[in-house]
Amino acid sequence: MSDSEPEAMAEADGVPSTKLPPHLELRRTRVLCKVDAPDNTDTIQYSGAYASLGHENSLRFADFCKDFRVDITRISDDDMELDMVGVDPSIANAFRRILLAELPTMAIEKVLIANNTSVVQDEVLAHRLGLIPIKVDPRLFDYLSENDTPNEKNTIVFKLHVRCEERGQRLTVKSNELMWLPKGSEFLKTSESLTSTSKPETYTSFTCSQDSMPEFAGNPIRVYPDIIISKLGFGQEIELEAHAVKGVGKTHAKWSPVATCWYRMLPEVELMEEIEGEKADVLKQKCPAKVFEIEDLADGRKRATVARPRACTLCRECIRDGEDWEKRISLRRVKNHFIFTIESTGALPPEVLFTEAVKILEDKCERVISDLS
Amino acid sequence: MSAGKEGRALSILRDVFLANVRVIKNNFRPKCIYVAVMLRRMMEAILNKDAMDDKDYVGNKRLELSGQLISLLFEDLFKTMISEVQKQADNVLSKRSRSSQLDLSMLLVKDSITLGLERALSTGNWDVKRFRMHRKGMTQVLQRLSFIATLGHVTRILPQFEKSRKVSGPRALQPSQWGMLCPCDTPEGEACGLVKNLALMTHVTTDQEEGPLISLCYCLGVEDLELLSGEELHTPNSFLIIFNGLILGKHRRPQRFASTMRKLRRIGRIGEFVSVFVNEKQRCVYIASDGGRVCRPLVIADKGISRIKEHHMKGLLDGARTFDDFLREGLVEYLDVNEENNALIALYEQDATPETTHIEIEPFTILGVCAGLIPFPHHNQSPRNTYQCAMGKQAMGNIAYNQLLRMDTLLYLLVYPQRPLLTTRTIELVGYDKLGAGQNATVAVMSYSGYDIEDAIVMNKSSLDRGFGRCIVMKKHSAVNQKYENGTSDRILRPPRKDDRNKKGENPDWERMQILDNDGIAAPGEIIRPNDVYINKESPIMTKGSLKMVALKDSDYKPSRQTYKGAEGESCVVDRVTLCSDKNNNLSIKFMIRHTRRPEVGDKFSSRHGQKGVCGTIVQQEDFPFSERGICPDLIMNPHGFPSRMTVGKMIELLGGKAGVSCGRFHYGSAFGEPSGHADRVEAISETLVKHGFSYNGKDFLYSGITGCPLQAYIFMGPIYYQKLKHMVLDKMHARGSGPRVMLTRQPTEGRARNGGLRVGEMERDCLIAYGASMLIYERLMLSSDPFEVQVCRACGLLGYYNYKLKTGICSSCKNGDNISTMKLPYACKLLIQELQSMNIVPRLRLADS
Amino acid sequence: MEHTSFGDQRNATFSLAEEDHTLANALRFTLNQDPRVIICGYSIPHPSEARVNVRVQTTGDPAREVLKDACQDLMLMCQHIRGTFNKAVNDSRMKSPPDNDSSQGMDSD
Repeated sequence: MSDSEPEAMAEADGVPSTKLPPHLELRRTRVLCKVDAPDNTDTIQYSGAYASLGHENSLRFADFCKDFRVDITRISDDDMELDMVGVDPSIANAFRRILLAELPTMAIEKVLIANNTSVVQDEVLAHRLGLIPIKVDPRLFDYLSENDTPNEKNTIVFKLHVRCEERGQRLTVKSNELMWLPKGSEFLKTSESLTSTSKPETYTSFTCSQDSMPEFAGNPIRVYPDIIISKLGFGQEIELEAHAVKGVGKTHAKWSPVATCWYRMLPEVELMEEIEGEKADVLKQKCPAKVFEIEDLADGRKRATVARPRACTLCRECIRDGEDWEKRISLRRVKNHFIFTIESTGALPPEVLFTEAVKILEDKCERVISDLS
Repeated sequence: MSAGKEGRALSILRDVFLANVRVIKNNFRPKCIYVAVMLRRMMEAILNKDAMDDKDYVGNKRLELSGQLISLLFEDLFKTMISEVQKQADNVLSKRSRSSQLDLSMLLVKDSITLGLERALSTGNWDVKRFRMHRKGMTQVLQRLSFIATLGHVTRILPQFEKSRKVSGPRALQPSQWGMLCPCDTPEGEACGLVKNLALMTHVTTDQEEGPLISLCYCLGVEDLELLSGEELHTPNSFLIIFNGLILGKHRRPQRFASTMRKLRRIGRIGEFVSVFVNEKQRCVYIASDGGRVCRPLVIADKGISRIKEHHMKGLLDGARTFDDFLREGLVEYLDVNEENNALIALYEQDATPETTHIEIEPFTILGVCAGLIPFPHHNQSPRNTYQCAMGKQAMGNIAYNQLLRMDTLLYLLVYPQRPLLTTRTIELVGYDKLGAGQNATVAVMSYSGYDIEDAIVMNKSSLDRGFGRCIVMKKHSAVNQKYENGTSDRILRPPRKDDRNKKGENPDWERMQILDNDGIAAPGEIIRPNDVYINKESPIMTKGSLKMVALKDSDYKPSRQTYKGAEGESCVVDRVTLCSDKNNNLSIKFMIRHTRRPEVGDKFSSRHGQKGVCGTIVQQEDFPFSERGICPDLIMNPHGFPSRMTVGKMIELLGGKAGVSCGRFHYGSAFGEPSGHADRVEAISETLVKHGFSYNGKDFLYSGITGCPLQAYIFMGPIYYQKLKHMVLDKMHARGSGPRVMLTRQPTEGRARNGGLRVGEMERDCLIAYGASMLIYERLMLSSDPFEVQVCRACGLLGYYNYKLKTGICSSCKNGDNISTMKLPYACKLLIQELQSMNIVPRLRLADS
Repeated sequence: MEHTSFGDQRNATFSLAEEDHTLANALRFTLNQDPRVIICGYSIPHPSEARVNVRVQTTGDPAREVLKDACQDLMLMCQHIRGTFNKAVNDSRMKSPPDNDSSQGMDSD
């Protein structure tokens, strides 16, 4: 694939226009990773960039549709890797940025501490609780704006009540001790007026229990288990209520739906000349990522081949020793092929996260269009 | 010549002149010889400049320890007490008619010694009149700002002479301080080079009994001074034996004598800190057992072969042996600075030659505790290490294991302190790996956004969200429930609650007292806001006068509540409340008020290489660059910090840290540790990096988070241990519009604590003059400061006053209001005029039309 | 918000509130791909204000329309990406159902 890529790309690009000369085509589509610095890192976006050569640099939507390709290389419940081919870095980056910062999730925002005699200070405890991922689809909830009352549509309430009862023992409090309260807060507000006959007021005003809602019936809301919240000594106690609300990663990293999310451009390793014999062995040994393999030719000679270009981590070991090696091997990155990795925190599966991110970019465009007209 | 004068001179000669040479039974001979030897030395020094003593030589210095100082003080106090008693007894006995028998114990002032010691310890002023000693600052409050500050403080050596003298000699690095005093750790500025710190293995000796050692010397063939003539004393084949500055006699075979003494010391017959030093040049053998000498342990070598063998080290590692066993078995000995001159010390065993007598234990021990924290300090420019020594003490982190129980006036803690990824042996020895003060931040060395000039760093907002650099500041507030002389005392009241009403039906203060418990004291765990009351205390109006046993009424008390004054908009928490009694037996209530802060723009950070910088901007994670593995740095440091600072150690720390995280082993960077394996070599680190798919030079291929394209350079990125320093903008930021003024001059107050104005000073004024901004000068210097309207008499030029009845200005010297003009001038100017007038100087204003 | 000199519709600066590089950089790409655009670029005037200024200069068409088209292009692209992606996910799910099962197992613990 790597060998025939530039030609294929050029063919698909501008059907009516002339082809770019190969050296320009290389600069247009590849990042050249030299020993001292990468070169041609930017993409040439301007449509008239090659106007003098008679080449139209703009990408027609039809062409885009034809070329664009997504391959999923790995997918599991909380992470995935996909190849996205045929987009500009600015678009891929937009998805990455949205995934990190603009996809909403639920996270604990308010912690009502009734008792905390542990060594962890109240605000540190609250901070730790805030960073615990909650396994719930945020699309089922609304944002809680400033003058809203917390209700079943915008708040999830958890309770934590642990106490170390055993003398001389340490109790490790983990996040699975957080109990979901589908009926809302159990803490009573210090009564405004004792005479009120209505039912005692709590810190939330749920109209119905969340577990009666169809989304959560038989599917209780849980948090990511195995996260240490605190450790308790004998007699120490934590009693608190945590209120999770919807938010985005821009405001605080706890609302980020991904642990991290990034892409790398597809590595491409080209042997500029035949590397044979001893040199081939040296080359194979050099690479810690085992990119190169040795091929036995028919006449008993050995020749180095690029077996796993994808594994290249760009350690530049192969081109480190002197200029002649640099001449022999060309390390490149394909500018429009992205190996995208999404590591979800568990709120939503990674594939949903990605489609949601794309939707958010669409929404942004729509907003601008409606603002302009 | 009167006999009295002669007697006095004799007593001075006997008791004061060369007091260390004691005169027994009026035998002045030792003293004479001593003077003669001194003269000999002096002549020698005149003839031969090389024989001059160096007063900055560490071997000629003694450290004054607490024991000596206390004993001096005690002696003085004891003698004053005795003389007091004597005076009083004489007084009583001189009276003719005495009814009772003299009881000396009645004359003793009971706690004069206790009080004297207490006073000296609490004020730090050592006043011993008999020796005309007046020293200030002898006691200091131990710094508990950070663990390293404490350790640095207890190893500090303060000079006796004043700091203002401009001399270079005592400030310069002395070759003799090798291994004894840290070459890096000294403050900047006026005390530079004078204030020193002990090195890691230095031991300061204490006094040892002299008697047995003197008799031992005589036993080993020292010929007694009493039996020698001056000529015999200085025969060419003999050496003087000087013990603690006292001439004992001479010895014909000094080397043999010295080696016997040393042998005795190694087998433990005499104290391990006794030093034997043969000075060939002065033809003397010095034996010292006095206190205050600095010494350090060295491995003994016989003909260049270390006495410590494999099995000894194994025993040490297994815990079967301790350092003291090594000392007892004569494998290791302490040498002081003088005796080091008789030793040939090899740095490593492999460097030893047959002449070698000792081998260094480890080269990194020439540094002190503070400098020992720096990884690869031997790759840094030396001032950088000195800067770090000063900065490590300001780093926030763990203070002590009991830090959450302490009631310090100010306590800075880090929420998530970490152990440095790149450690040193010193760090492990002092326990900094358990009480760290910093965090391992992934640093990218690149420029970003322009908010990183002048050493500013760019921080990743998500890192801060996840707890990087988060710190806790605790301040102590205390209140005393005072008892007064008339038997009354303060009282603490139950606070008014929301529904309470006083007699007038009002309840104005309940909102400020919500955090109080029913006992009137703030409850731990409550969020405290500025102007909240933390103790609802009342004081009696009458605190003096007759003692009335009648119970006081409510109206006899006035509120003396204490309110919390903190930064507006910050929420602090009452962390702890303690009740105890102070030294006057009053109830003392102390509050620790806690404030958790996340880093903000302007907070100060520093790496361990004297590279401090403030946070210049905080950037979203998505705008940050990211590597091929999805690693996103925690902070970005500008590469311009490197060329002029030459902190190569920091670069190696980055490489080592990066190798450490990828292979899962803490890497070491002890000073000079490469040959002995206490520091990882860059080559080995690079190999580890390559093995894990990184570039050997630590530079990664990064993508811009803004455009999504790769960056046009490989970026040097990896973990560096960063310290958060105690200087935070929240404590320093200050601005004011209008506010308080000084009563006397009516000008704005000065300083942040008084909500003062920002001064347009002389130089700022010069700029404005140069610019010609006269209206601005007028506005800044007068209108915004202290404008004042005065009545000036055009006739006499003096200031008059405004008569409100006549609605006109009157000149008090002309006694009329005919020539009065009104004008504005700074109140300070009016004040000056009046002050001059009070000194009989008459400034007259001559007005002209504008 | 649009800033344009009077009577000249070809050159304009659009100030988009509550947006950052995410949209602006993607729009810059789509704008640049449009042959009608002579120059386009964007800036964030101050880091503490969530706002981007997008500058568009065209060969003749009103800048507003060009920008709208660019948004439209971007939207279409997104829709196509989403469609392709969903198809790819479905394909990979079809190809390797055991993977899916194991993840289900993880979910229920």
